[in-house]
Parts: sequence; C-alpha cells; structure tokens
Amino acid sequence: MTRRRQSPAARRAAAAAGFAVPLVALAAIWELTVRAFDVNPRVFPSIGPVFLAAIDATVDGTLLRHVAASLGRIALGTAIGIVVAVPLGIAMGTNRAVSAFFTPLLRFFSVLAGIAWIPIATLWFGYGFGAITFVIFNAVFFVVAYNTLLGVSGIPPALRNAAASLGAGRWSMFREVLLPGALPNIVTGIRTGLGFAWRGLIAAEMIATNVGLGYMLFVARDFYRTEVIVLGMIVIGILWLLIDRLLLAPVERATIERWGLVRAAG
Amino acid sequence: MTKSLTLRGLQKTYFDPFAGAEVTALRDISLSVAAGDFVAVVGPSGCGKTTMLNLIAGFLPATGGEIRVDDRAVAGPGPDRGVVFQSFALFPWRTVLDNVAFGPKMRGVPKARRHEIAREYLALAGLAHAAERYPNELSGGMQQRVGVVRALANEPDVLLMDEPFASVDAQTRMTLQEELTRIWEQRRPTVLFITHDVAEAVFLANRVVVLSRGTVLDDIASDLPRPRSWSVLIEHPDFKTLTARVLQQVRAA
Amino acid sequence: MSHAQPRLAVRVSPWLRAWGFWIRWSTRRAALAALVPFVPVVALWAAVAAAGVFPAAFFPGPVEVVRRFGALMVNGILPAYLEDSVVRLAVGTALGMAIGIPLGLWIGLSDRAHRALWPVLLFFQAIGDIAWLPILLIWFGFGLATMTFVIVYTVLFPVVLNTVLGVRSIRPELPRAALSLGASRWRLLPEVIVPGALPNIVTGLRNGLGYGWRALIAAEMIVGTSGIGFLMFDARRAGSVVEILLGMIVLGVLWYVVDSWILAPIERATGERWGLVTR
Repeated sequence: MTRRRQSPAARRAAAAAGFAVPLVALAAIWELTVRAFDVNPRVFPSIGPVFLAAIDATVDGTLLRHVAASLGRIALGTAIGIVVAVPLGIAMGTNRAVSAFFTPLLRFFSVLAGIAWIPIATLWFGYGFGAITFVIFNAVFFVVAYNTLLGVSGIPPALRNAAASLGAGRWSMFREVLLPGALPNIVTGIRTGLGFAWRGLIAAEMIATNVGLGYMLFVARDFYRTEVIVLGMIVIGILWLLIDRLLLAPVERATIERWGLVRAAG
Repeated sequence: MTKSLTLRGLQKTYFDPFAGAEVTALRDISLSVAAGDFVAVVGPSGCGKTTMLNLIAGFLPATGGEIRVDDRAVAGPGPDRGVVFQSFALFPWRTVLDNVAFGPKMRGVPKARRHEIAREYLALAGLAHAAERYPNELSGGMQQRVGVVRALANEPDVLLMDEPFASVDAQTRMTLQEELTRIWEQRRPTVLFITHDVAEAVFLANRVVVLSRGTVLDDIASDLPRPRSWSVLIEHPDFKTLTARVLQQVRAA
Repeated sequence: MSHAQPRLAVRVSPWLRAWGFWIRWSTRRAALAALVPFVPVVALWAAVAAAGVFPAAFFPGPVEVVRRFGALMVNGILPAYLEDSVVRLAVGTALGMAIGIPLGLWIGLSDRAHRALWPVLLFFQAIGDIAWLPILLIWFGFGLATMTFVIVYTVLFPVVLNTVLGVRSIRPELPRAALSLGASRWRLLPEVIVPGALPNIVTGLRNGLGYGWRALIAAEMIVGTSGIGFLMFDARRAGSVVEILLGMIVLGVLWYVVDSWILAPIERATGERWGLVTR
C-alpha cells in the first residue's frame, strides 16, 4: 500500500486538525455529560447558553471591551518591562563583579514577581489601570532582567574577546555579541515573565478594577451566570494559546531552536 | 551460552513516510550460527545488517520468516539474546556494578549473590576498580567494556553485538577487540557481531557473512590461528588475503 | 570555586592551613555569598524610608517591618498563617504530583494518549489556575476544597509536561537494553522510565511549585480567610503597608530558600550525577 507524499501545507493542515480534534471531542463530551446528568445550568452550563452569551457579549461590545482592557494592560506592561529589563540586564551582565552582586538580588525579586505585588500596587497606585499595569510590568521586568543577566554572563568570554580583538566598539559588542548571545535566555525569560504577568493580570482584575476579563469572570459569579464564566475562561484560554503560538513560539523557534538549545516545558 | 541461532527466510518491510512507499530492508535471510560460533556480519551501509540484529533481538517484528534459538522460535526481546549496543546503553543512574548486576536482578537473584556474579565478570574485563563509579565518569572504551560484561553476566544463549566498537577511538578499539577475542576464547558464547569494518570482522570471527541489499551474499570462513592479536595478525598473509577477499565482496555489493 | 590541595609538603605552613580552612568553609556556605548583596539594599531601603522621600504610610522602613514581624510572631498570627499557607501548598502539590506523574508517564509512553490528550492539556493550561476561581467558588464555596483544586491544577501542568518531556528524552536503547537483560515490560517502568525521567520530573516539580505558590497567594487574596496572601490583602484593606511588605518578604525569603537550597540542588544532583541533560 503506497500513500502519496504529504506536502508541507497538507502536513500543517493535518497538525491543525490533530490539535482541534481532541478539543472538539472534549466539547462533545461536555455537552453530552451536561445533558445526561441533567446538570443544573447554574452549576455548569451546556454549550448552547455559552455560545449565546458569546454572541450577546460580542454584539453589545462588552466582550471586546474586557478583552481590549486586558490585552492593553498586558501589552503595555510587557513592552515597558522588556524595554527596561533587557538593556539593564545586559549592562549588569557585562561586568563580573556587578553581575555577581545583582544575581541573588534579581533572583529574589523575580521569585517574588507578579501576584505578590498586588496589594502594595493597589496601595501605591490605587485601584485600576495603574496598579494592574504595574503588577504586569513587575512580573516581566524582574524575570526578564534576571534571565538577561544570566544569559549575558553565560556568554563565553572567548566570544567577547574575539569580538574585541576584531575591533568591536561598545555598540557593536552590544548588537553583535551580547544581545544575540543572551537572546535565548531573554526569550525564556519573556515566556516565564509573561506567564506570571498573565496570571497576575487575571488575579488583579478580579480584585482591583471594574473592567477586564478577570473582572468579567468575578462579577458573573455574583449573579451565578456560569455561562459567562465559562465563556470568559474559554476566551482566556484562547488568548493565551494565541499569544503562545503566534508570538512566543515563533520567536523561540527563530532563536533558541535554531541555535540548538532545548528548554524545559511548562 | 552455547545455543545455536537459526534464521530462515527472514523478511522485513516497512512503510517510509518520507519516500511515500514501502521499503524492503531484508529480503530473504537464511543463516545458521552453530553453538559457540563467532559470526561477523558485514556489508555496505543500508544493507540491512542492523535491521537484522534488531529483528533477532526482538526489538522489531519480522514481516516474514522465522528466528530460532536452538529449536525454539523467538519473537520479542528476552534474556536469551543478550545485546551489546553501539551507544553502550548503560543505565546512567546505576553504578557500574549495578549495571552488570541488572540481568541477574531481573531473574530474582538475591543482592549478595548477584553482586558477586557482577564482580566476577568485571574482573574478567579488568574493571574491578570501576565497580562503584557511574557510567558518565568512565571513558567510552571503559563504558563499552562494561556493556559487554553486562550482557555476558546474564549468560544469554546468544550474544548480539551491534557495531559495539564503532563509537570508540581506533586505539581503544583494537584493545577492545583483543579483549573480546580473549573472553570469547575462554567462554565460547555464540556471537553474532555486526560491523562495517572488514578487518575487525576477519580479526574477531571464525565466519564472516557478507550482506547486501537485504540478502546474504557470501559466507567466508575465517580460520586464522587463535589466540589472535593485532601485532601478529597484521603481518599474517592469510589475514591480508581474507580481508581483501571480504572487502572485495562488500564493495561489489 | 575549587581549590586543589596539593599533597606535597609534609609540614604545611599554618597560614596555608588556615587559608585552606577558610576557603572550604566559605565555599560550602555559598549561602553567605548570596546574602551579601542584600545588605546594601536593606541599608538603602532604610535610608530612603528615613529620608521620608515617600510618605511613611506608603513606604515604611525595615525597622518597622522587623518590629511588626516580631509582634506577629509573638502573638502567633504569623506562624498560624504561615502554617496554613504551607500546608495548603504541600497538600496541593502532593496531590498534583500524585496525579501528574502517572499521567505524564502514561502520555509519554503512549502515542495514542499523547495525540488525544496533549491539545487538551495545552488548552487547559492556557486557561490558567486563577480563572477557575469564580466557578470553583460557586461549586465549593470559600474553603479548602477551592484552594486545593487551584493549587493542584496549577502544579499539574508543569509536572505532566515535564514528565512527558523526560520520558520522551530517554534514549531508546535503554529500555531495549533492559528488555534484553530480562526485564519484563512492566519492570521497565520502575527500572528505566522513572529513573530516566527523574531529572525532568524534578524540574517539573520546581516549576510547578513556582506557579503553585503564586496561585496559592492569589487564591488566598481573593478567597481566603487565612494565610499569607490573606494577610497581605487584609492589610491592604486596613491600609497597613508594613504587613504587606512583611508578607512579601516572608514569601520571597521562603521561596528563595526552598528553591535555591532544596529544589535546585536536587535538580542538579539528579541531572548532573547521572550525566543526563535536562534542559
């Protein structure tokens, strides 16, 4: 029995199908279970109400509002975090004594990063956008700075010496040696930091504000609107998957995998 | 360790997704290895010799034909067919001693006794001093000696060796080859040895089988005098003729 | 920083001996080296607080924090909250590993299980632990069940994913070697698969705990009635900055200690001792 060779497009389609099929099966199991056990819709909704809630929320714009708020906060906090953390981490990493000094410090703060800062953030910035963005920035900044520091200090001195002896000035050194050399660590740091930031975002939105996906979930609970809760959870899941697949994975592929490093999962 | 190995009409085909077609790795292999024989199998890359070993070892299912140890048909892997791997395959989380004692442990031999057995076999290969080390602390050559000894300590009916010295540097290889013949000449296990190195095959074996594109091309007796050592054999006229003859067969394949 | 002691002189100078002693002592106490950077930071903190750059209500100094720490220790609140938090985390983690490791082993070994479950795992991991709180509150109310679920959920994914990675990174010759030495298929699991995947499993545990304690704190803030997270959140409501900072420092120190001095060495020990590459 011979099968025709698969074209790359066909292989991609097959991979996408392979991803979708178990989820579709899960949805089917969901629907069947809810019906078979006659589950109280206030405990767990079936697919129908969730779908309707999605339509409603989209039509009257609330879903978009919450999604935009959440995404806006995370985008801003992450962007500022990365922009501040990377140069700082590189600057600290170039000097042995400085990096030895800052490594335990940054490690301590990156360990604490994110959620633990919510109470103090709301105290300093009040409720709302500022506090939440600070939590996100905090999560991304410390983790990325720490990882950048590790990455730069992990660059073999031989590489820097080679560049120096080839006449690299400060800026070239940064662009050609330090940044690429630390990039895999930076990317890992961004992934971890973003993970903490995303969780921090949802948690903070439950406590400290009146718009956003976390808020949407929390307020729905008050009214026992489980279909909105489930909708919110699914939207959160999809958003993170999109961030992961469309943003993080390609960047990792271009840096880490291309340069032959393997990272731990999860 | 003195049982015979018989292959009759062995066949292996599989589907290659990249080629989009079926590939025949082994066409029709029939081979008898008498008890206590040392048979080396050589052939060009892709001739199927590693596949053949994987079938005999039971790691892959055959698509046709049969494999018998003595008169017993065999299928999956088992302790009756010990294997020495090209990549050593020592368990990194166990000491050398525990690695060698693994086979007896699986058979339920109590700890004291199996450690005794393991030490005997380690001494056979001059590795007694390394018993408490971990594999990643040893050189490649030493690791493979442990690999050989580990297989032997389980006293298999047949010993299968899959290009065991290919991952080792040339000097160490010669030492290992001499050590292997020495051990074989003492214990006389039935050995099937896969290699791409023709000189190695002629040095070690008393029969050299040439494989080509999935079938047996030739079966040449290598009856050079024993005990064998490189310093002697390298000058031996018969060694040179035999090696040349086998090489010719392999290249023509 | 290793220092090879040459075994030359029979009569070793006492200075040399003292020096060697100091080297051995201080490198074993790497902890000390790690603490050194914090001293100037704390000093800076004290200086900024004393200078009144920020109002005291927003930025207390280290002295007040230490004083409050003492007070809370004495009246038993801090130890009680700490115990609550730690117990919840421990229970959740234990459960998460009890479910996650076998699940990871299964998915790692079975292609069919992998194809069926991997997308499901990724999707649920994407939803994240905290997003489950609202619906958990409806189901289980404000109690231990809710918090345990969140922690188990959080710990589960890193453990499963890393276990799968660990299983799949075992060189295929190892199970084959074991089978050829007489191991039955079932014995492969304890003899080859688990030891082979162990370094990755430890990594999974480490990552899982890292996310797990965060989930715990968030849950305690949103849901709890006790615990460090609750301490901080309640202090926020009362406007008491000192306790917030105290909570953060306690958390940071605790996790730093557990991660650097317990988990990381274990991870290193399994990975390096066995010469396996885990990352």
